[in-house]
Amino acid sequence: MKNKFLKILSVLLLIFVASCTDDFNEINERPDALAATDVSAKFFVTDTQQKLFAPNRTPFWRGTILQSDRFSGHFAHGYAQSFISGENGWTFNFWFQEFVYNWLAEYNSTLTAFTNFVKEGGSLENDQYYAISLIMKGLYYQLYVDTHGMVPYAEASDPDITLPKYDELKDIYTGVISELDQAISLIGNNTSTGSGVEKLGENDLFFGGDMQKWKQLANSLKLRMALRAQGAPGESFSAASVSQAISSGVLTDTDALINRDINISQWASATYGDVWHNFYGIAHWHVGSVLLNTLQDNNDPRLSKYAVPAKGGSVTIIKPTEGGNVALIDKHVAFLKSTLDRAGAEYTMTESSTEININMPENTNYIGLPTRLSDKPKAYMDTNLFSEPSEIVRNKKNSGNPIFPWVVMSAGESNLLVAEAIVKGLASGNANQYYQKGIEHAMALWDVSSADIAAYLSTEMGSLSGSTDQQLEKIATQRWIANYTNGYEAWSIVRDTGYPSAVNVSVSDTDLYGLGGELNGAYPGRLQYGSSVYGNNADNTNAALAKMGPDNMATKLWWAK
Amino acid sequence: MRKNSILSIFLFFAFSISAYAQQITGSVTDENGIPLPGASVVVEGTSNGVTTNFDGNYSIETSQGDVLVFRFVGYQSQSITVESSSAMNVQLMPNNALSEVVVTALGISREKKSLGYSVSEVSGESINDVKDDNIANSLIGKVAGLQITQSGGIGSGSRITIRGNNSLGGNTQALIVVDGVPINSSGINSGSNDDGGATFRSSISGGGISDINSDDVESISVLKGPTAAALYGSRAGNGVILVTTKKGTNSDKLGVTINSNISVDSPMFLPDYQNEYGHGTLGAAPTDITQLTRSSWGSRLDGSQKLYYNGNRAIPYSAQENNVSDFFRNAIKSISSISLDKASEAGSIRFSYTNNSTESVLENSDLNSHNFNLRGVANLSDKLSVDSKATYFTQEVNNRTFGGGEGILGYVYNMPRNIAVDDLKNYQADNPATPAEFGVIGYAPSTGNPYWMLLNDEENERRNRFIGFSKIDYKFNNWLSAFIRIGADITSVRTRSVEKPGHHFYASGRMSVGEFTSSELNTDFLVTANKDLSDKFNIVANIGGNMSKRTSEGLSNSGESFKIPTKFFLSNLNVLNAPVETPLSIKKVNSLYGALSTSYDDFLYLDVSIRNDWSSTLSEDNRSYMYNSASVSALVHRFIDPNQEFFNFIKLRASIAEVGNDTDPYQLSQTFSVPGQGYLGLTTLGSPSVRLNPDLKPETVSSTEFGVELSMLNNKLSLDLSIYDMTTKDLIYNVPVPAATGYSFFKQNIGEVQNKGVEVNLGANLVDNEKFSWNTSLFYSKNENKIIELTEGLESFIYNSSNDGSIAVKAAIDGSIGDLYGTAWATNDSGMGTVDADGKPISTGAQDTYLGNAQPDALFGWSNTISLNDFTLSFLIDARIGGQVYSQTSAEMDSYGVSERSLQYRESGVTVDAYNTGTESANTQNITAQDYFTSISNMAEFYVYDQDNVRLRELAIGYDIQNTQTFGIDSARLQLIGRNLFFFSKSADDIDPESMVGTTLGTQGISVNAMPTLKSVGLNLTLNF
Repeated sequence: MKNKFLKILSVLLLIFVASCTDDFNEINERPDALAATDVSAKFFVTDTQQKLFAPNRTPFWRGTILQSDRFSGHFAHGYAQSFISGENGWTFNFWFQEFVYNWLAEYNSTLTAFTNFVKEGGSLENDQYYAISLIMKGLYYQLYVDTHGMVPYAEASDPDITLPKYDELKDIYTGVISELDQAISLIGNNTSTGSGVEKLGENDLFFGGDMQKWKQLANSLKLRMALRAQGAPGESFSAASVSQAISSGVLTDTDALINRDINISQWASATYGDVWHNFYGIAHWHVGSVLLNTLQDNNDPRLSKYAVPAKGGSVTIIKPTEGGNVALIDKHVAFLKSTLDRAGAEYTMTESSTEININMPENTNYIGLPTRLSDKPKAYMDTNLFSEPSEIVRNKKNSGNPIFPWVVMSAGESNLLVAEAIVKGLASGNANQYYQKGIEHAMALWDVSSADIAAYLSTEMGSLSGSTDQQLEKIATQRWIANYTNGYEAWSIVRDTGYPSAVNVSVSDTDLYGLGGELNGAYPGRLQYGSSVYGNNADNTNAALAKMGPDNMATKLWWAK
Repeated sequence: MRKNSILSIFLFFAFSISAYAQQITGSVTDENGIPLPGASVVVEGTSNGVTTNFDGNYSIETSQGDVLVFRFVGYQSQSITVESSSAMNVQLMPNNALSEVVVTALGISREKKSLGYSVSEVSGESINDVKDDNIANSLIGKVAGLQITQSGGIGSGSRITIRGNNSLGGNTQALIVVDGVPINSSGINSGSNDDGGATFRSSISGGGISDINSDDVESISVLKGPTAAALYGSRAGNGVILVTTKKGTNSDKLGVTINSNISVDSPMFLPDYQNEYGHGTLGAAPTDITQLTRSSWGSRLDGSQKLYYNGNRAIPYSAQENNVSDFFRNAIKSISSISLDKASEAGSIRFSYTNNSTESVLENSDLNSHNFNLRGVANLSDKLSVDSKATYFTQEVNNRTFGGGEGILGYVYNMPRNIAVDDLKNYQADNPATPAEFGVIGYAPSTGNPYWMLLNDEENERRNRFIGFSKIDYKFNNWLSAFIRIGADITSVRTRSVEKPGHHFYASGRMSVGEFTSSELNTDFLVTANKDLSDKFNIVANIGGNMSKRTSEGLSNSGESFKIPTKFFLSNLNVLNAPVETPLSIKKVNSLYGALSTSYDDFLYLDVSIRNDWSSTLSEDNRSYMYNSASVSALVHRFIDPNQEFFNFIKLRASIAEVGNDTDPYQLSQTFSVPGQGYLGLTTLGSPSVRLNPDLKPETVSSTEFGVELSMLNNKLSLDLSIYDMTTKDLIYNVPVPAATGYSFFKQNIGEVQNKGVEVNLGANLVDNEKFSWNTSLFYSKNENKIIELTEGLESFIYNSSNDGSIAVKAAIDGSIGDLYGTAWATNDSGMGTVDADGKPISTGAQDTYLGNAQPDALFGWSNTISLNDFTLSFLIDARIGGQVYSQTSAEMDSYGVSERSLQYRESGVTVDAYNTGTESANTQNITAQDYFTSISNMAEFYVYDQDNVRLRELAIGYDIQNTQTFGIDSARLQLIGRNLFFFSKSADDIDPESMVGTTLGTQGISVNAMPTLKSVGLNLTLNF
């Protein structure tokens, strides 16, 4: 017995010694991981496009809808039935801004992984894909810095630099434009990324793999950035860049769009409808009053494309009988009335000592909701009195109904940019021709009929006239209108040009508006950095703030008016 | 290789000397000579054992040279070597430090006096009387240096740390070892026993030690420092909890024990509410059903008829003072067990079955588990014995509620003060047809109805677990023995959660189903030589090896939008997300170790150990690593006080050790993540956000420990004091880097963390006579954690932020793990608080003001046992001193105007004494209470409380029922038990300061709408047949 046991023990020990660590390398290989040899560059293109322009619900809801779309004046919350206050995006909200920052900052890993693959020496080296990566990088940095201000650029994407310095916007703009130049020259006359496994094709959500269109996109972006930088302190490149971009060819006839994936989970890519159809409608929002008033003032056929009329009907608002709002009744009623009147609404209002009754024809009036309202007038802003976004904006996925695509860069915007360049004297040509072509494309994107377009072009707003400033205001206003559902760009246009001036406003009347905490009534200039920067790159962050201004929403960016 | 030499050593020992079989009989009595029935008599190192009969007599077959161990609860164990005599009468003394035997690493029983490091043992009884459904919680206050933090609802795990947090990331919790076999302590979501975490939604699953049935526990040893745990090598970094389960010991007849523990749980306390102002905002009650808010900033509750949340306009606007407490019920917790055991020369067997049926204090939420445990020891010859155990555990948890900002209790705690909670039971329209009719009826838009979440949604978990081992022992002779053991722990968990159509966040409904399996297999051998080299010189040598294989795999499916809104299964979903497959991941660690214990003249003891691990998670170059430990202890009383006039015992001890922490599988080489969901049907590839590191090394924890143990005044007073200094280096951590690098994290070995502390265990036998005795023990521990170094450029990083954005749990250089930084009231240059033009206080906005640390400074436990005749009273008072916690609960209550605090300034507002940034002068702007509290509630500094609290944790009054023999019952004991009965003091408002939002490192110091701590009162009946 003893010996038998000893034998067993010895055998086990031998097995132990023999088996040892032979399989250790093998079992520590992840079974579901892909190596470079398993993948094609085109898969990265799709991901790189989607993550930036069709993000998931978290940054989309907290960043796009609750902040940029409201800062731009296109959308407004804060009506009586809303659970979201009209001012809450204006007051710094950690969870709104943290997610926006993290989304944009961390996007760099998506882009860098792609770039490293396709650049010279990368395992999927291909200069056309590399050109695409440079253009995506340009789109990324333009959005990122126009939202947050200074970020690391020159020292970014190098894993050996764990403490990258921040660059000034002037240098980032200069760098991006030179990388766009590199992309434009790499593309040259190429039309495709290659054949076989290298063919991009449908994996390119913008252009189906057409490299000439990528080149036009690069020129449009270059033009946009050069015009934005124009006149900012110390810039010297915009004049040259503008004329180069225009002569090389911008997207004058093609829109860079991403169609919506209607099957995908909102946690992978969200649409307005994903938010709209949640929360039982209480997160619904209305179209901003300045946008609808502008469209109505000019008989713009996009009015019915962008918004639906107020539901109307009979609305009863009970006057407060207790609390601080009792003293403000007259002011609030007058404010409601002036809002309805400014929109040219048809309605009757009767006022008793206890309530206000409004009768409004159903589904007739286009009335926008003022932005940035505080909770004080909230109860007067009944949802039925205001216009909601049109169905194509907020349709539900999988419902068989169309959903308006994500706009990366439109032909309308590109033409308007050329018009702006000509008016500013940075390019030659017929500004009005580009202005009208821009409007035409912008309207066509929203399915406006050619008859309606022609009618609009014959109105005062339909052509450029007046002083340079008046012309620039018209162009800026058209760009702002054309960027509906693209809040970040629309907000940038307001900050850059100051138009529409009714959007670019400070507030002080706290009976009606929210001051927004630190913003203290000012128009928002940027979003804050995420909290991580103070832990993992504090010195460089503080050095950047010393140049740019404090890390709050009131700080204005380099190019801002 | 090295192993060949070990084989030779093994073969060297492999000769045997036969011994004489011998029958020993005798009696076991207490210090007054009174027989002790039911005392256990076991041959050391075997399962051969018997229990004394009613007269305290026993009879056991043994061999000369064997060591018999006599044990009885509350008494010191005695070990006596069998000589030629066949009679052995033993008198056991009440517990004191002198001759206690404790279970040490690898399950080796040692005399405590011989140890050069600190080990604490807790008996099965002391965790069984006042039961908790997680035995970890029964260790609170009973071991110096052990910190247990409870979280979550029924069936949730607890956070277990020993001597502070040694690691920056990963797991800082103790290793759990049951009968020598490490068990898997994974929570299902995280791959470690850390669980919960998101402050908006934190669900804490059980697992690990919570699956161990307390009735099966013989004792629990806590191996506190690296020296004690050194033989566990790279798993020892956080200390070890050793659970020893019971074996069959009843020799004269079949032993039957029935235990029934029934108690009633109810919230120990609830926050303080105001009852003067109702639903509404801006000082007015709602006037329109469409404009409801969540808050209680309405007008004075005057009983007049006002609009109710459900649209009824004729409901008195009056306070529902008990609407929060009415949401909770008195819940019945019933833990019943039966065990059968029998022992003979041929071996022993013990079977037990335990049913745990615990209701939550929330309706429709409960836990039910069955535990079957079979332990058998067969003495196949006088040399060979086989010891096997199989435990099958199955548990179902229904609606374990999740905590955090979106947790159910947030909707309860902040309910407007005039809403009767029962009305919320109408959470959906009758016979809903349209999506709108399916919609939840809450007291405000986007506000969960707690009854919807409880009675309608599902949150279920089923866990099946097998833990078992087989061990073959062989005694070559009276000094050499060996065993081989194979142990397995296999857990499978199935989870299912459904949010039904109409839910306040997921209007079209969503569901997820997951299955996770994890296993841990351990194969061990150990050869032990125990030899007296001379009269005074004894040596015990152990050589062993371990092969550990840990696996996990899982599959989860989720989706949203139910096609048919009344049935809930995956194929009824419109949007089915891509399934998430977690393929089988394997981690193997092979180890060889040796330990040598020498003793000289019962006076000087020296231990050394060495262990080499080979881990599959590290690269070939770093795979093999070695740890050592050494300890020394000296019993100096014979020199200082040879006649024991004052001191009965003085021991000095010192130890040094180095142990480690390895990592998880797949942390070395960079790969691309699997195709995600794609876009428009196109394949997309994700890119990794962590830059992995092929050069990863194991973490090293090095420690120095000194201790002194004293026993004095006829063993009436004892003291055990330890001081230690532990330093962890090369911490494996996902170092957060600027995203501009192209990654979010670099996986690296970084930094240095130090834990220094002191532990004191003071014991006193205050009164001791036949009729009346009083034993008391005081446990005190203090730990200081300091981050000495991180990595270049990294000054701090954030573990977690509260979802109101007010607080962040950080680690910062020169700070401690778990530093709390938060928002504060912004001041002007002269330090004066600021308000905006409106007069509202301005927050700093950023989480950059230091507000405290989540780790308590010191823990106290004071445990007492008082016996008077047949009655025994025991109670445990424990305390936490120092450490802070942020109560998001309180901040929310203030912002919704439900807290008692929010009664301030209601009628005439407040002009905050501050600097007005609008007027740039002293503030004169009056603001309402609503404006004041909604501003203040964004500033964490007003809601960080000290964790200081002292509570009566456990109370048991027992009665040994007499003359039960006439009913065929050997002994019977009835106990009245209570748990968490009251606080002697508590600093925090509203919350239990020990109730954290999760069990991860980053959730310590944040409390968000936690389940109330439960007060439990009940009966415990134990019958022995």
